[in-house]
Amino acid sequence: GVFAHLAALEVQAHQAALKQEELEQQEEKVARLKERVQELRLQRDELRAKVDLQQNRRLGKGGAMSDPVQPSAQAVLERKIKSLKSMLQIFYLTGISGKLTKQGVCFCISTAYEGTYLDSYHVDLVLKPEVRILRHSIPIFIPLEQISKKYLQRDIRRFMSVLFDHLNAYAGRRYQADQLQEHFSDHIEGTLQRNSLCNLLVFKYDVSKNSKTFPFQARLIYGDLCLSLPTEVLVSCTPDAPVSLAEVAAAHSDLFRSMALHKAFRSFSSTEHIMI
Amino acid sequence: MDETVAEYIRRTVLKIPRDEIKTMLQKWGFLSEAQLQTINFHQIKENISQDVVQLCEENCADIKQAAVLDIIYNHIYSNKRMWSVYQMKKAGDETEVFDITSFKKKFKRRLRSALKNVTVNFREYEDNAIWIRIAWGTPYTKPNQYKASYVVYHSQTPYVFISASVLRSNLPLLCQALVVASNYQDIREIELRSHSLNSLKDIVFKRYSQNFQTYYPRPLQERNVAPENADVRIIHENKNEKERIQRVTLEVFGDGPQPKLEFAQYKLETMFKSDPKMDVLDNKEPFRCLVKFSSPHLLESLKSLAPAGMADAPLSPLLTCIPQKARNYFKIKEKKGLFPGSFVSP
Repeated sequence: GVFAHLAALEVQAHQAALKQEELEQQEEKVARLKERVQELRLQRDELRAKVDLQQNRRLGKGGAMSDPVQPSAQAVLERKIKSLKSMLQIFYLTGISGKLTKQGVCFCISTAYEGTYLDSYHVDLVLKPEVRILRHSIPIFIPLEQISKKYLQRDIRRFMSVLFDHLNAYAGRRYQADQLQEHFSDHIEGTLQRNSLCNLLVFKYDVSKNSKTFPFQARLIYGDLCLSLPTEVLVSCTPDAPVSLAEVAAAHSDLFRSMALHKAFRSFSSTEHIMI
Repeated sequence: MDETVAEYIRRTVLKIPRDEIKTMLQKWGFLSEAQLQTINFHQIKENISQDVVQLCEENCADIKQAAVLDIIYNHIYSNKRMWSVYQMKKAGDETEVFDITSFKKKFKRRLRSALKNVTVNFREYEDNAIWIRIAWGTPYTKPNQYKASYVVYHSQTPYVFISASVLRSNLPLLCQALVVASNYQDIREIELRSHSLNSLKDIVFKRYSQNFQTYYPRPLQERNVAPENADVRIIHENKNEKERIQRVTLEVFGDGPQPKLEFAQYKLETMFKSDPKMDVLDNKEPFRCLVKFSSPHLLESLKSLAPAGMADAPLSPLLTCIPQKARNYFKIKEKKGLFPGSFVSP
């Protein structure tokens, strides 16, 4: 009846599936063995090359004096590798270096500020089917999403350049704030007030060290995230400060706008007796 | 000094391990060095805490100062609490010039406008972490200082770390205040939880070790392998395989320490696939099951599975994607299509 028929069909299907599986397994086995053959061939070639090199060496040593002007293949290779490595080192030092990966390219951004190397960050890009970021180590407060939305698809170079500017400027701002905190903490009241991007710094300070009063109040706003100098500086005097200091405050305001923060402090803390 | 404040300070000091009490009181800065000298820190904790309360009486401590001591304790022993991660979303693209004074003002104002009886305290740390402690009351009762919520926020980031108290009913208000104060629009909890606050930060701030391919050579010392066995008679079988496993593990996990998570949970809603002959729930409904991996340090143990020979390398991407996807709760559904497999829902 119907059941018997169904049972027969089931058996047929099962057998067909088994045959199919056997076939697949065979094919897999063949592919694997082919791969193995390739591997062994490669190994054989490598060993051959090694043997040749050894023989050449032995001939060179035992036989006639080897020509010192003629460099051996080994030496040439080593020189090439060395020059490549130094080329890569140069690229690394300029700030952006990249390495091709299986799926795309991995960029390394190295930041620096006025001769001091600071942190490095990475962006791993996939190029097909469209350019996108696979993973990265960019700090979360850098507007990476914004930047990639604007540039990544159209122009990778531009994207890297803008990202580099952001990271480098951030590193510079943070470096200045750290330097100020580290070397001029005796000029500042308490600790420097800052934020993650270091684009707002607020502090009270004095030109002389270890003074009990801090007549100057500074508020530095870095409106452009790609710059490490402030776009807006407000230096005011506390209400009980002598009126003469107002001029100094104005001078400091210009100073902060035009040079690195810790350098500005260095300049007026060492010449405190000179009124600018 | 208020009785309740005295009791609260006493209980807080009792929580601190005896050897740490002096350092913590120094960090607190409320009692002078001279006052601290008068305390015998070798006596039993009961007595130490009594002495501390006595000195706080002299200085007229109020709940605000007591709350600061509590924040300091929780900052050092943050791993005693379970932390959840929340993500905020912004609509606009304007550059944020985050001002902490305005943040604190907006946050307090938002909370107090909805609930008069709250104690709110802030403490900033050098790594730009802003710790907020909130003790909740009701319109008719004073804030319960023993069930405070703690929030950790880094300015100009979309992530907030919250260790809420048992009173989850205050969570919506807390979220609202955070969004308003930080100039975001929306906030939701993400599927990431752990006792290790720093590991959570490492994961979402992408500070954990990822193995990026670069040309910059790593210092050679790092690549020193243990000296090979001098005895030539000992051969390492499967040396190639061992090296392959090491390489793959390094590629996936990087060579630095892993963020510390205690568990990963997978909720399966996939079809149970069995041998057609066995006729067990075959393709009728999704087989609901929950798989939970627990460990004192989950990611480190996953990293050591393949080198220890307990699993094949590479490990399943469901396990290795945890830091990248910033989650340790997953829902796995059936993939619709020709090949029944599984796909992880976003």
